[in-house]
Amino acid sequence: MAARAQKLIALVALAFIVFALAARAQDKVPVSVPRRIVSLVPAITEMLFAVGAGSQVVAVSSHDEFPPEVKTLPKVGALIDPDTERILALRPDLVVVYGSQSDLEKQLGRAGHRTFSYRHGGIATTLNTIRDLGVATGHRPEAGKLVSSIQARLDVVRDRVKGRPQPRTMLIFERQPGTLREVYASGGVGFLNEMLTIAGGRNVFAEVSRESVQPSTETMLARAPEVILELRVAGVVEKTPSREPDAWSALSSVPAVRSHRVHLLTGDYLVVPGPRLAAATEAFARALHPDAFK
Amino acid sequence: MITLDSADESSMPRRARHASIRGRLASTIVGFGALAVVTCVLAPLVGTTSISLTRAFDPSIPFDQNVDAQIFFVARLPRVLAGALVGSALASAGVVFQAMLRNPLATPFTLGVSAGASLGAMLVIIFGGAFALGPLSAVPAASLVGAAAATAVVYWLASRRGHAISTSVLLLAGVTLNSFLSALIMFVQYLADFAQVYRAARWIMGDLDIGGYDTLIASLPLVIVAFGLFALLPSSLNLLSVGKDAAAARGVDVPRAQRLAFFSASLATAAAVSLAGPIGFVGIVVPHLVRLLVGVDHRIVLPASALFGAAFLVACDLVARTILSPVEIPVGIVTAMIGGPFFLWLLVRKS
Amino acid sequence: MFLVADRVSYTYNRRTSGEPVPAVRDISVRIARASLTGLIGPNGCGKTTLLKLLAGVLAPNSGTVSLDGRALTTMSRRHIARRIAVVPQETHPAFEYTVLEMALMGRHPHLGTLQLEGPADLAIAFESLEATGTSHLAERSYMALSGGEKQRVIIASALAQTPEVLLLDEPTASLDLGYQLEIGLLMQRLNRERSATMVIATHDLNLAASVCDTLVLMRNGRVLASGNTSEVLTSAMVRQLYDVEADVRLHELSGHLTVVPLGRLS
Repeated sequence: MAARAQKLIALVALAFIVFALAARAQDKVPVSVPRRIVSLVPAITEMLFAVGAGSQVVAVSSHDEFPPEVKTLPKVGALIDPDTERILALRPDLVVVYGSQSDLEKQLGRAGHRTFSYRHGGIATTLNTIRDLGVATGHRPEAGKLVSSIQARLDVVRDRVKGRPQPRTMLIFERQPGTLREVYASGGVGFLNEMLTIAGGRNVFAEVSRESVQPSTETMLARAPEVILELRVAGVVEKTPSREPDAWSALSSVPAVRSHRVHLLTGDYLVVPGPRLAAATEAFARALHPDAFK
Repeated sequence: MITLDSADESSMPRRARHASIRGRLASTIVGFGALAVVTCVLAPLVGTTSISLTRAFDPSIPFDQNVDAQIFFVARLPRVLAGALVGSALASAGVVFQAMLRNPLATPFTLGVSAGASLGAMLVIIFGGAFALGPLSAVPAASLVGAAAATAVVYWLASRRGHAISTSVLLLAGVTLNSFLSALIMFVQYLADFAQVYRAARWIMGDLDIGGYDTLIASLPLVIVAFGLFALLPSSLNLLSVGKDAAAARGVDVPRAQRLAFFSASLATAAAVSLAGPIGFVGIVVPHLVRLLVGVDHRIVLPASALFGAAFLVACDLVARTILSPVEIPVGIVTAMIGGPFFLWLLVRKS
Repeated sequence: MFLVADRVSYTYNRRTSGEPVPAVRDISVRIARASLTGLIGPNGCGKTTLLKLLAGVLAPNSGTVSLDGRALTTMSRRHIARRIAVVPQETHPAFEYTVLEMALMGRHPHLGTLQLEGPADLAIAFESLEATGTSHLAERSYMALSGGEKQRVIIASALAQTPEVLLLDEPTASLDLGYQLEIGLLMQRLNRERSATMVIATHDLNLAASVCDTLVLMRNGRVLASGNTSEVLTSAMVRQLYDVEADVRLHELSGHLTVVPLGRLS
């Protein structure tokens, strides 16, 4: 009896060990690299292409414009109107969604698809997202390199503007064309504000703990910025030539207007928290401290 | 001629108790006029930024170095004037539509003028366009065109040449057009990208911060014409609100009076909405408040509403721009927050 | 002849399906000055439409209505309203006007566009209210009155127009016996003392018999008969108008004809 009991115990122990080893071995096997990525977030699409995962992307959002390769890809809607049917029909193995699209995430989860949830945030969040994407798409080294190069470029900018007086700046990313109504400016939080700070500017709305501010005429006059940076996204508005009269001349007591330091920067790279944010920061810095870039 | 027993002196005292309409009209205009003037004079003195009035009015400081003056004359004064103009226009238009449609719940937006203006503005905001109509930039110009188109469509649907307009048909046409245009607006917003949708939504909340006198001066002729036409209406409005046949039987040229009322009120609404977006509740709260104070005779209600409307909106805008200082809330939210409880109170009072 | 409708027709323009039925067909009516005429007929015979045509509120599709030889279509609405007043069956103002304000609306045709009423107008309005026994209600809201009081205020409003012709559509419809009598007497008094020309559209055959000197009998938009009350109001006529067998005889005490329905004809 004792011999049989011993054999039983040994067998159980062996089974146990085998199972344990097998379980650990499971962990070591890498999850398969996604080959059919659908991205609903333009910033993420840019990141995917920048880390070398462009060939793995099969569809993008309806607002995607960059890089040029996305123009030929199928469009599946965006934040308000994701085309769930179309997404599912593409048999994706990874779908990038907005953090707020929880219903869509659940739906895709139930259908057995992996999702990557995008959280909007500052520069640090953006760089972390690039790293996470690198891991998720099997391009970890490229992602690492991209993040390093962005950080290096930002450091260069920081160096160039170091020690220079920081002008009080109003950073405007939206307004009603031809007038000064419905002005939207960057608040003291968010990637636009961070880029501005790196570029050597002091946000006039630094104390506002929101990403965007809608200042009234009175507020703009009262804050009296020394520089105004206007960001225009290339697109529909620029279809008609900007023969609009200089709307800012009405606020002639604003230092920026008086000293002709109202700068218009165009390009969608300026407002997308993605791989091109270093270029955007450089553009800000050039406008704020032209003599540092001669 | 049917004449009756001539007045005998014993009933004179009872008659004298009824204040003459001339007297009531004069005192109403003086009273509400004073209110409007005081509000408009005090409002620019208040704001999120404290300014020095002596500095602002100091002629020796060049204008482009005088922040206080610019805040007063470029930021605040146009805003107050716009508030007065828009408030006055919307309140009067409300009175006229309510009389014409024989419905105290009618607003200047009931017949679709505002929806047309909104659609015009939305199309420009979302699809771009940097054109100008004289001193009016793209958005106000487009909303004016939209308003005119909506007015024309409603009129075409509801009127027959030379005949009186049936108020129920007019109401139906207006409500139908409203629904249709609202659907179009939703569709256009759906096609837009996120930032544009937000801008469009913001426009619909109304905004009096015009930052200059250009748009104000452009809207002025429209409003002056509308008010000029309003001046011809009040006694007809009394009769129209009793009924078409009753009005005709008492000498009102009903088709003419209806068209005059419809077009003048639509014009005033169009001017107001293209200037500042569709600010709600002014066109219904002010007439009701005024009626509570001065009775229902339109010869008094109309001028009183015009004056009180100006004071009301300027006051609401004052609250909107100072109450959560330094954040400014859209004036449409303040008028709504006053309008809602007001009607609740009216309802409770009646039952 | 004072107020004449000459071969007038009118069809309401119905946007609903079906052939529009003419409300009034080829009618000629001659109202003598200072007469008290009754328009009698069953529901839908066109009494109200004829009244509106006579008032100039509706323009006939064909034929003319003229006052004192002058076609109404050549007169401005205001001018007509100074001479002809209408008391409709129902009045529902959209706002809470006071009784005095309702009466003062009758002065509208006499005032210019921007003119406000003066003391003379106020006096006339008060007199009109007194004539219908409603002057004590002057400051009350019209909407808050009883049906009978409302009716009398509307009559007062019409009187305030100081018209030569008064057209009334079912004036005693919502009045109790006392007020029916009173309004009947009022109409007779106005007619007698001021030579007022009056036309009354009514269901009430006894009212018509007691008050009107002339009757116009209508059925299906046409005139069946017209003439002196005593000649025209017969049981044969009643039978033709209403399909009702009735006894029509002179009532000795009151001195006018009475109509007592006896039974419906099948």
